Amino acid sequence: MSQTFKGRTLIAGNASGEALVSRRAFTFAHGVDPSSGQVTDVHSDVRGENVKGKVLFYPFGKGSTTASAWFLETARQGNVPAAMVTETTDLSAVIGSTLAKIVYGRSIPVASSFPQPMYNSLKNGKRVSLSSEGELVISD
Amino acid sequence: MHLDSGQEKMLRGEAGEAKQLAMEILTNVGDAMAADSLVPIKSGHVLAHYSSLHEAGIEMLERFAKAGGRFAVPTTVDPASIDLDNWKSFGIPQEYAEKQFRLCRAYGKLGGIPCWTCVQYQVCNFPKTGETVAWAESSSVVFANSLIGCRTNKITSGLDLACALTGLTPRFGMLLDENRKARVSFKADAGTLSDLDYRSIGFFLGKTSGAKVPVLSGLPEGITSDELKHLGAAAAAAGPTTMIHLPGITPGTATVKDASGGEPIETMAIERSDLDSVEAELNQTSERPDLVAFGVPHLSTAELGLLAKKLDGKKLIQGVKMYVYTSTQAFDMANRSGIRKEIESSGARLTHSTDAEISPLKRLGFNVVMTNSAKLAEIVASEGEVKMRYAPTDKILAEVTR
Repeated sequence: MSQTFKGRTLIAGNASGEALVSRRAFTFAHGVDPSSGQVTDVHSDVRGENVKGKVLFYPFGKGSTTASAWFLETARQGNVPAAMVTETTDLSAVIGSTLAKIVYGRSIPVASSFPQPMYNSLKNGKRVSLSSEGELVISD
Repeated sequence: MHLDSGQEKMLRGEAGEAKQLAMEILTNVGDAMAADSLVPIKSGHVLAHYSSLHEAGIEMLERFAKAGGRFAVPTTVDPASIDLDNWKSFGIPQEYAEKQFRLCRAYGKLGGIPCWTCVQYQVCNFPKTGETVAWAESSSVVFANSLIGCRTNKITSGLDLACALTGLTPRFGMLLDENRKARVSFKADAGTLSDLDYRSIGFFLGKTSGAKVPVLSGLPEGITSDELKHLGAAAAAAGPTTMIHLPGITPGTATVKDASGGEPIETMAIERSDLDSVEAELNQTSERPDLVAFGVPHLSTAELGLLAKKLDGKKLIQGVKMYVYTSTQAFDMANRSGIRKEIESSGARLTHSTDAEISPLKRLGFNVVMTNSAKLAEIVASEGEVKMRYAPTDKILAEVTR
């Protein structure tokens, strides 16, 4: 069985992957190791997990204005998520993804503002696909 | 977001590739933040230090430079990850310095002012009240919004270059009157304040306010702009704070009521116990420090003079280094006035164009760092490599000098 939800597209693109779900504020700055994609932030509830190729969900961003630069370095090393989904707009994700397209020709879709039931249904390991139109499908 | 015909042309590439790339960033950000338009800025302030930008950041700046990018407005830059003149004598490895110099060269090609400081508003970037700017560096954003009466958002890496290259910034957040109103009010009520207390008040404010703009009253009449610089930097390090209304100081804010736009607002006292809890939080150890760091953000010439007086006749004890971070301009003044000699005769070192929180402290062999900077303590502690101690200048000097 699958469920479909509609959100707001911030950076358009189609992507799919396994969900990695953080329920806390998230940052790439000193929070993700660019050389592996592993979450290193001691305050993160997904510390030790890897973002590479996942559909990364977190409620909102936090911390340093250099997070977009850390994201770009993670893209350079080929360890970025397949897509990023947030509750409220994370400026660093929008800028980081735009920079990755400009510098490395790699666009990572970003979307936000889904209805609350989507966030409740999303769990680690579920298959998720995201479309350019902001349609997110969760399958078991 | 609405674009005028000149901006449309930039987006289509008719004003060159660099402006086209920059416009792509601006339109993505503008649309994401629901900005209605792009507005002109008077100056930019960007990030170009290797420790945060990495290899990819070098390639980003070089990409803009190769695409023919030139800053459209006067633009300054935050500190580098090394002392650009004296890095060798601080033990920085050659290959690390080379990375920073690639960033310096690319930034130079873009036409930036080589003023590597986080206190650009004290030495090389002087907007006036009411102007819009696009500054990265969270502490300078608080200073611009709160003391100068400028309008700026906290500009993220990458967006900083896009704004400076086009002379434009998306209109959202702190550019809008509605978002500049104070929503939470504090009154300092902790008696006589030490240098540390100003930072602790800022830290408490940043942590407690969250996304709400605070108004802060109860500060001493004679508070200096340097003290407010450190207070604001601590607030920005502790939370998302980008502006603090200071009645009687912030342009347009004579009273707490002005700050909130006339709306009733409850005032909380900041008491001595609140400052004590900040100190407890930022002190991770009682071990002896191997480095004492002053100057996050950079000290002004006046502050260097005060420190020189405190260090007069004192010598650093063995096993402890003391680095005093400042802008290149204040370093030059300290050189000419003899202040540098006074500071360094204690065994301390004056260093410029870099700052402690973005230099490779662990790599340089430091394990315990003592400072009076809440900003430095917070940032370094969150990285988890080096243990921090946080204390007033007098207490630090009593411990590490004789």
